[in-house]
Amino acid sequence: MSIRDLTSMAEAQGLQRKEINERLKKLQNDVSDYCFQCAKCTSGCEAHKLLELEPHKIVALLKKGLIDELVNADIIWTCMSCLKCFERCPQNVAPVEILYALKNLAVANGKQIPGQYTAILQSVLSLGLIQDIQTMTTKENITIKRDDLGLPPLSKPVDSATFQTAIMKLALEKI
Amino acid sequence: MKKYGLYPGCLMPTEQYSYELSLRETLPLLDVELVDIPDFSCCGEPLKSVNKMMTIYLSARNLALAEKHHLDLLVPCPMCHLALSECKRILTRNEEIHEKITVTLESEHLKYTGKTNLFHTVDLLHDVVGVDEIKKHIKTPFKELKTAVHYGCHLLRPTDVGRPVNAENPQKIEAILKAIGLKPYDYAQKLDCCGAPLLVNHPETSLTKTGQKLQAVQTQGFELFVDVCPWCHKMFDSRQTKAGETVATKLQVPVVYLTQLLGVALGADIKKLGFNLNQSPIEKLLLE
Ligand code: SF4
Ligand code: SF4
Repeated sequence: MSIRDLTSMAEAQGLQRKEINERLKKLQNDVSDYCFQCAKCTSGCEAHKLLELEPHKIVALLKKGLIDELVNADIIWTCMSCLKCFERCPQNVAPVEILYALKNLAVANGKQIPGQYTAILQSVLSLGLIQDIQTMTTKENITIKRDDLGLPPLSKPVDSATFQTAIMKLALEKI
Repeated sequence: MKKYGLYPGCLMPTEQYSYELSLRETLPLLDVELVDIPDFSCCGEPLKSVNKMMTIYLSARNLALAEKHHLDLLVPCPMCHLALSECKRILTRNEEIHEKITVTLESEHLKYTGKTNLFHTVDLLHDVVGVDEIKKHIKTPFKELKTAVHYGCHLLRPTDVGRPVNAENPQKIEAILKAIGLKPYDYAQKLDCCGAPLLVNHPETSLTKTGQKLQAVQTQGFELFVDVCPWCHKMFDSRQTKAGETVATKLQVPVVYLTQLLGVALGADIKKLGFNLNQSPIEKLLLE
């Protein structure tokens, strides 16, 4: 089922829409209401070229208040965060930010999210970084890590328990 | 000597060693000293889709750490640079978020005031050091190779947050390349994405993006491809062969970090610039 099919069936969720607009105002000067559907965002969208993301439709659905449909749609996870839509929107709307808001909402509502994001989150919580030191292979087929190259120790949270507590506390916060 | 804290982020210090090696080797030749600061964490950018509040906190704690050491930061990764810049902007404009972050920072004995200035490799070289100064230090200029430049999305956009280069017609890297003898040319795909952000959940599409851009570059006869982002480099250099498969082309584009090239031109020891970690065919470049 496409997003468009869903729109005809759905009830509008005005309150959630207000909440998203509030969030956008805090983060940028962005108010989705100013979108006049010129589709310039979609014309340059990197994800649109290969997948089927159409940022102008995302904004249109948000304006209609169809939040649940958007939050449940897999398509919101295809944004490449190239930021072209935000850069080029004549109305200073940031579809990319709207997509972040929708994805955050999906996570907060306990929706299934792409597995790798959970892995990244776990790594940041336990290590402070998205991944630990990797072994790389040189052109001469020698495997090396950063200390073999004389690079200084990796900078990462020293007191990881306190760090973790701080992050977890904020994870429950909404913007 | 100018002094900056080095904010390494996640990807550069855990696998993109040639970027870090060439930065550390090259900048001192231009009178820039890098200071290592312990206790940094991820900038939060990779978690924006999960929880933006977490992103803001992670950025703020790194900025607070820099303040503790009284240093401005060099942030070589454009993704980190955007996350940190955006954090500064949000904390300036919103008291409610600022308050939440401040309270949580206290639990880590940190304080954020927002005084840290941020630099990326490109503006540090172009705006702070300056092209004229770079010219004075050149030992071995390059032959006039036809060069394609890739800035990376997060370095270019969004202008609204304030970026180190012009979003639609960036020329700072080109100016540096001209100074060291290369011949950079614009090309239609210059501002396009490398595909890396989708590597997480759509690897095939992600590689197709990479492949399409490199294919365009190869078809237009470029002899060299220069980048300044650990994510982009991972795609264009390390994954070049795989990316080629997605567009059914044998790609053979030499991909290097700007700092690796600069190192060569400034007479740094080539062995210390991490060239043996580049997976793309760069041999020709070094022999000439
Ligand atoms: S470019 Fe801006 S105004 Fe035009 S459709 Fe997209 S969001 Fe709406
Ligand atoms: S940031 Fe996302 S939605 Fe906006 S143009 Fe890029 S890929 Fe499309």
